[in-house]
Amino acid sequence: MGRPVGIIGVGQTKHGRRMDVAYPELVREAVLRVFEDSGLEPSDIDGVVSGTMPSMMEGVALTHFYFADAMQAVGKPILKTETCGSTGVSIAHTAYYWVASGMADVVLAVGHEKMNEGDAQATMTTVAEPFYQRYFIAGAPGVFSMQSQMWADRYGIPEAKIRDAAAHISVEHHNAAFENPYAHVKIRVTADDVKNSRVITYPVRLLDVCPTSDGACAMIFVSQNKAKKLGRKTAWVKGVGYRGEEYFFGDSDKGLWQGAVLAAKQAYDQAGIKNPRKDLDVAEVYNPFTFQEMLFYECFGFCEPGGAPDMVLKGTFDKKGQLPCDPSGGVLCTNPIGATGLIRVAEAVLQVTGKAGEHQIPKAKTAFSHAMGGVDQFNGVMIVGSEL
Amino acid sequence: MSKEYKTLMTEIRLPYELAYGPVWTRFFEGMAEKKIFGTKCTKCGRILVPARSFCPRCFIDTDEWVEVAQTGTLTAWSYVNYRYYGMPTEPPFISALLRLDGTDVDFLHLIGGFDVSDFEKTRKMVKNGMRLKAVWSDDRKAHIMDLKYFKPA
Amino acid sequence: MSKKVAIVSVAQSAGPASKDNFYDQAYRVTRECLDKVGMTRDDLGTVVSASSDIFHGGISCANAYYWETTGAFLKNASRQDGESLFAFMYGAMRIMTGQYDNCLLLALCKGSENPENDTCTLMFGDPFYHRNLGLTETTSAAFQMQAYMEKYGVTKEQCAKVAVKNLGNALRNPYAHRRGKYTVADILNSAPAAAPLTDLQIAPKSEGFVAMLLASEKKAKKLTDKPVWFKGYGSSLDTYFLGDRDLLKTQLRTAAAQAYKMAGIKDPKKEIDVAEVTEPYAFQELLWCEELGFCKPGGAGKMIDKGTTEISGALPVNPSGGVLANNPYVSRGLQRLAEGFLQIRGEAGEHQVDKKVKTALAHGTHGFAGQCHAVAIIGV
Ligand SMILES: [Zn+2]
Repeated sequence: MGRPVGIIGVGQTKHGRRMDVAYPELVREAVLRVFEDSGLEPSDIDGVVSGTMPSMMEGVALTHFYFADAMQAVGKPILKTETCGSTGVSIAHTAYYWVASGMADVVLAVGHEKMNEGDAQATMTTVAEPFYQRYFIAGAPGVFSMQSQMWADRYGIPEAKIRDAAAHISVEHHNAAFENPYAHVKIRVTADDVKNSRVITYPVRLLDVCPTSDGACAMIFVSQNKAKKLGRKTAWVKGVGYRGEEYFFGDSDKGLWQGAVLAAKQAYDQAGIKNPRKDLDVAEVYNPFTFQEMLFYECFGFCEPGGAPDMVLKGTFDKKGQLPCDPSGGVLCTNPIGATGLIRVAEAVLQVTGKAGEHQIPKAKTAFSHAMGGVDQFNGVMIVGSEL
Repeated sequence: MSKEYKTLMTEIRLPYELAYGPVWTRFFEGMAEKKIFGTKCTKCGRILVPARSFCPRCFIDTDEWVEVAQTGTLTAWSYVNYRYYGMPTEPPFISALLRLDGTDVDFLHLIGGFDVSDFEKTRKMVKNGMRLKAVWSDDRKAHIMDLKYFKPA
Repeated sequence: MSKKVAIVSVAQSAGPASKDNFYDQAYRVTRECLDKVGMTRDDLGTVVSASSDIFHGGISCANAYYWETTGAFLKNASRQDGESLFAFMYGAMRIMTGQYDNCLLLALCKGSENPENDTCTLMFGDPFYHRNLGLTETTSAAFQMQAYMEKYGVTKEQCAKVAVKNLGNALRNPYAHRRGKYTVADILNSAPAAAPLTDLQIAPKSEGFVAMLLASEKKAKKLTDKPVWFKGYGSSLDTYFLGDRDLLKTQLRTAAAQAYKMAGIKDPKKEIDVAEVTEPYAFQELLWCEELGFCKPGGAGKMIDKGTTEISGALPVNPSGGVLANNPYVSRGLQRLAEGFLQIRGEAGEHQVDKKVKTALAHGTHGFAGQCHAVAIIGV
C-alpha cells in the first residue's frame, strides 16, 4: 500500500446554479474552505491535483491554467487527472498515490464543474464512439437507463417492486439533502411524485435523475508524520480500487457490472473488509440515477445480486438502516461532475471524523466512497476510516 | 443564490475529420451493401461486432472477418423521451442493445418500425429477449444510419 | 526516493497523418511496447495515459475512447490531461507505493484530426478577457520572444539557428513530421506569423503516440538488461494572467530545481549529457536552456553560435529534432523522455549523439509562454 495517507481537511462550495460567481471564484470558494478547515496555509502544500470534465462542458480548455491562482497552485507541482464521471475519485486516488509514494507530504486535491455554463448532455454525447454509438447513446441518461433496464429485467422481480424501490431511494435522498448545507436540490417529494414524473429515458423518470450543478470540492491529503505533527482529526485511506471496461457499449455485461465488483474488491482487500454490509458504517455511492444505485449495492456486495429492491424497501440503506447510503443526499441531489466523485470521498471523510453535522451517522468509523464514468466503463472506490 | 450577475452568451463550433482506418472502412462499406461484419478473435473465439482490429481482452489482432446475422434478440432498451444534441431522430425513440445471432457482444442501435408515440403501449410491447430484424435505408452512404433500425421479427 | 523505478521499453508512432484511426493506432503502439519485452496483457500491472480534451478529435473524455487499446480492460488505470510527463510522474508513483511492479504509460495525440493548434490554445483563455483579444500560445510566445531579444540582445538569427539545427536533426529521425536542410535566411524568410515569429520557427500540428513501460527494480531486471532509471522530476505552474508574469523568469527554474535536487545534480551543464526540450517556438529552446541552467541568462545565443547544442556538441539539445520537427500537443513531453531513453541505450539510430550518454533530461511545457513546465531526469 505504500506509506499511510491521511485526509485532514475538506472544503465544499454551496452547490447549485451558481451564476453569482465566475468559474475561478467558485473554485476558490472550495479552496479557501479547505485551508480554513485544515488550518494549513498554501505554503504548506507540496503539490496540487486538479480535475474536471472535458473542455466542452464549459468551453474552457486545460482549466488548471485558468485556476492556477484560485487553487493557490502557483509555483507548485501539479497533476491534472481526468477520467470522465469518475474524475473526482481519480483525483483522490492521485493525491493518495502522491503521498503514499513518498513524493509529497501534503497534497491539495481540487475537483470542479460549472455545468450550467454549457450543454451537459451534448458534452456527454461526445464521450461516445463517433462512428457507431454516438447517435444512440442519448447522453448520460440514455446509456445508464439501458443499463438499469438490463439489470431490472434480470432476476424476475416484478417491475412494480423495482419501481417502488427506486422511488423510495429518490424520496430518501431528497429528504437527506435538507440535512446537507451544501446540497443543490432541496425539494420534498413523495413516492407518487417520483412514479408520476415525466419519462426521460425509460425506466428513468425526471425524479430519478440528478440535477445539473455548479460546484467545487477541495481536500488535503497528508503523510502520517505530517498528520502527527498537526494533531488534527484525520481520516485514513484504507483502500483504493479502480477498474475500467471497453469503450464499445455492448462488449461487457452491465447488469452485474464486473468493473464495479472488482474496483470494490480491490479496495476491500486492502481495507480488510470481508462483509461490506456489516464492516462499513456508511457509503457514498455515486448515484446519478436511482435504479443504478441498486445495481451498485449488488456489485459492492451490500446485498446479493437481485436482492437490492427488497432491502431498499425494508430500509436497510436508509439513514437509520444497517448501512446508510448517501446520507448527504448523494449525486441525485448534487452533481457538479468533476467535483462529484471528490464530494463522495469528502462526505466519507466528514462521516468518519464526526464532522457531518445534521447528516452525521452516529459512530461512523469506516466509510465507502465511489464514482463511475465513461460510456458505462469506469468505477473507482476509496475507503476511509477513523483509525490508522 | 441571492443575486445573479451578468452572463456572456457565446458558442464554440469546430470541424473534425476523423479517420475510419482500414477495419472500420471495410465495416461501413459492408453497411452500404446491407451487410453487417464482425471480426473473430482466434484466442477467445468471440465474434465482435462491429468489426474490431483487435480483441480488447486477449489483446491480439483479429484478422478473421465474418458476416453476421441480421436478426437477433433484445438485451436492453430505453425509451428516449428528451431532446439532445446529435440525436438520430426526433424523440420519442428507442435506443437498444441487441445480440445479433451467433455473435458474442451486444450491438447498439435503434428499435423501430412501429408507433412508439404512446409510452405505456410501447412498454407493453417491447420485452428483453424479443426477436429483432434489421431494416435498411434505401439511401445508403456507408454510415451507421444505413441501418434504419431493428424491427420486431 | 522510496523505490527505484526504471523505463524498460518504449514504442512510438509519429508523423503528419497516418491512415489508421485513433483506436487502432493506440493499440499498435501499446502492442509494440509490450512485445519488445515479451509482456502479455495479463502481466500488465497498471496503466496511466495522457491525452487531452482540448477539443482534440471532437471526443470528450478521450480515455473512455482508447481504454482497451492500452491493454487496460479490467485494470486499475488512470489518466492525465495536458502534459504527458505528468503521466510519467503518476505512473512512477504508483510503482513506488509497491502496489504495482509495472506501469504502462501512453501519450496519445492524433494532430491530423484536431483543429489548428491555436484554435485549441485560444480556448485556454478565459472567455471574458484573453480569448476576445485572440491570445494564443503563438501570440503569447511572440511577446515572450520580443521581450527575450530586447532584454538580452539575443538576435533573431540566433533564434532561427534553433530551427536550422532541429529541422536538420530531424532528417535523421524517421518519426519527424517536418524536416529539412534550411539556412538561417530560409527560416527568417519563411511565411510571417505572429512577428517576430515566422512559420518555420513554429511547430507544426502532428501525430504522436508514445507507449512506455515502467517497472520496479526487481521487475525491470527480469524484463531487460538495459533498464534506464528514473532519477528526478519536477513541475511547476505559473500564475494565469499573462500581464502578472515576468515572461523571462519562468516556472521552469522551479521545476528544474526540484528535479536536480531529487537527482542529486549540482551542475546541470556538466552532468546532463543530452537534453530533449519542448520548443514549440524556436527561441524557446534558447530561453529554456538558460532556465535549465545550461548557461547564464541571456547566454544561449552565444551557446548556439558555438555549436554546444548541436548533435555533435558538448551538450546536445533536441537531437531528435524536438517539437519543431514533431508536435503532438500532449504527447510531446513523453516523446522527449522516450528520446532520452533511446539516447541512453544507444538506440537512437541515425540521431544518436556522438558522446556517451549517462544522464538525459526531458522537458515538457504547455500553456501561454510556458505557464506550466515539467522536467524529468533519467540515467544509467
Ligand atoms: Zn479474444
